[in-house]
Amino acid sequence: MTKALIDLHDVELAALAAAGGRREFGELARRHGSAVRGLLRRMGAQPSEADDVAQDAFLQAFEKCAEFRGEGTFASWVKRIAARLYLKRKSRNARYVAETENEEIAPAVDTPGLVDLDEALKALSETERLCVSLCHGAGLSHPEIAAALKLPLGTVKSHVKRGLDKLRARLQPEPAPYGRTSHVG
Amino acid sequence: MSADEFDPFVERAFARAPRMADEDLFAARIETRLASSTRLRTMALTMAGLIGGVVAVRQSLNSAMDLGTSSVTMPALSLGQDLQNVSYDAQLSVQPILDQFGLSDMALGSMGGMSLFWVGTVALVGLAIAGAMKLSQEI
Repeated sequence: MTKALIDLHDVELAALAAAGGRREFGELARRHGSAVRGLLRRMGAQPSEADDVAQDAFLQAFEKCAEFRGEGTFASWVKRIAARLYLKRKSRNARYVAETENEEIAPAVDTPGLVDLDEALKALSETERLCVSLCHGAGLSHPEIAAALKLPLGTVKSHVKRGLDKLRARLQPEPAPYGRTSHVG
Repeated sequence: MSADEFDPFVERAFARAPRMADEDLFAARIETRLASSTRLRTMALTMAGLIGGVVAVRQSLNSAMDLGTSSVTMPALSLGQDLQNVSYDAQLSVQPILDQFGLSDMALGSMGGMSLFWVGTVALVGLAIAGAMKLSQEI
């Protein structure tokens, strides 16, 4: 890889890719591949499925590269494409439930204060996890998620809220109890 | 932490994706798939061009046969007439050059309209084949 490619901004690389630059697009995939695959895994995809969908998303992004104007980040743009592709693929096999499922609660985060989102997401039901990931990971609005999942808007909002409540319970550091604060000196 | 504070906190947590060990391999796979899809597209376009060329040549042959018979259609006649006029004009413009090279006896005007038409067709098909070969070499 030439140094010039590393030094280029995402928008410049995207413009070169739009003109057919495969190596430039490869650099973009190198930069943001992990983020896209990570989001798909957080949405509930198995690693191999996440990789497949991420590859398809990048290929689709290459085709649409001329449409990327740099208004948001390139990573967010590809994440949105990937999230929609994953939902499309998933909707062929699954039906989302409108009500709370009987989910298996993963053990709580052991270390208070440590942000382990992947671990905390396991505590959410599949639909909550999808809704929260789509909203806060892929940047989709509630109506967009409702349309994508074919769920009522109110249901999506409650899934997001319930999911965030569960995440908050697991992610935010527990306040130190009174009388147990450590004293130095 | 309130809900208002927690939302951006979660968004930041989502934005912090761990780097994966095989990200170079992932990017290489995408580049490979891009290359193969480009190759397929080029092949498809080349095939379409060649098929189009063959169809065009076949149609031209059919129209030439029509011109050779007594049942010549008016558009075909007019096309032949136009081509003859063009060849006459071309001869007038090329004649000084032919004179300079001692080829003043060569008369382009003696070539019929259909002869020029065939020369043009052969040249176009040749160009299409050369283009296809160049594309295949690039692939």
